[in-house]
Amino acid sequence: MKYLTRHAGTTLFILLLATAGPLPQSHAAVETVTDESSGLLSWKAQHPGFSLQFIQLLPDYVRAVYGARGLPKEVVDLMASYCIFGTIIKNESGESLGYRVADWRYITADGQSHPIKTKTQWLQEWQDMGVAFRWSLLPDDQQFAPGDWSQGFTTLPLSPGTTFKLSYQWTQQDKTHEGIFEDLQCAPDTPPDD
Amino acid sequence: MKAYSKICNARLTPRPMTDLRLTATLLLLLCAPFGLLQAELPSPELSYLLNRLETPVTAPDFSLDDIDGEQRSLRDYRGKVIMLNFWATWCPPCRREIPSMESIYQDMGDKGFVVLGVNEFETPDHVFAYMGQLSVFPTFPILFDLDSKVSELYGVKGLPTTLLINKQGQVVYRAAGGRDFDHPEVRAIVEQLLTEGNKGNERTSFQDSAPFEK
Repeated sequence: MKYLTRHAGTTLFILLLATAGPLPQSHAAVETVTDESSGLLSWKAQHPGFSLQFIQLLPDYVRAVYGARGLPKEVVDLMASYCIFGTIIKNESGESLGYRVADWRYITADGQSHPIKTKTQWLQEWQDMGVAFRWSLLPDDQQFAPGDWSQGFTTLPLSPGTTFKLSYQWTQQDKTHEGIFEDLQCAPDTPPDD
Repeated sequence: MKAYSKICNARLTPRPMTDLRLTATLLLLLCAPFGLLQAELPSPELSYLLNRLETPVTAPDFSLDDIDGEQRSLRDYRGKVIMLNFWATWCPPCRREIPSMESIYQDMGDKGFVVLGVNEFETPDHVFAYMGQLSVFPTFPILFDLDSKVSELYGVKGLPTTLLINKQGQVVYRAAGGRDFDHPEVRAIVEQLLTEGNKGNERTSFQDSAPFEK
């Protein structure tokens, strides 16, 4: 009894954690599409009022995007060394909706969960490399009104062709939802049709 | 800066969604991400939903060069309804909404309406070459936000982002992502803003952007 009293706070906290449970998993219809001309893959998760799409981007495409902005070769090569997806987020609901990249995780084949490098982290790195460009990357967080949408690059330090899971969250009507892509894959180093 | 993050964080009054918009949205997602598929597939219809800020925010003034190197300030357009569009050439939805902006500008430009296209981080030479490839050449002013200071001033997080500023110099509508600005609903909003400005002795006032010139 004395033990229970002494540890009541801890016990209560554990009980609260146990009853709170995980975030509601929102089951999505995930559609995987292979682009006929390029052979590249894209994945789209469609939830009620919210959709998220990841599109494979080739390293050469990434080089072209940043090279055309006049960024130093050092920065262009660094970006092309990452596994980058074009990401599109849409609010298709009649309510406000928000997300934070800091809440998202990618899970590698060894079961390890990793945070995703945010735009803020990239901008700091670019600034240190003398670059003032601040576009192209998916914003860290956004609050969407109905009809709003956004696109940008999501970057992962993974090799071409690597498969992984991605856990994502968004808030809709003051409720946080969670979804998962089970089998995302980084683009290959060269076009699949080569 | 903080004052104008209000523009992007302000509470908004949603307008009703339609099946058409959802269809357009889905088509857009399938067909036009990052220009990868653009060459192969026809361009789908853009949505037209604009969101009214519950609390209008006074627009911060700024000065930028246009494509001819002439400096233009927001206050030059005092008393007009202003569509302020932040864009870049590498952004596919930005490219797709340009014809609709040009159309509404052509039709309503003589009624006190102006479109200002604020290009992000690109040179006039690059943008001029790009505009030559467009099916519709924009005649509205293109301004060059070379260091992205103005987009920061307005709390713009992604491209394209469009704001509507009323005759009193207040940001009253906002849209994140591409839109069809030639849609009757958007025209009706602009018409309404043009009319609102005629009712009283309203004065235009833009917020001084001095803190950002330090």
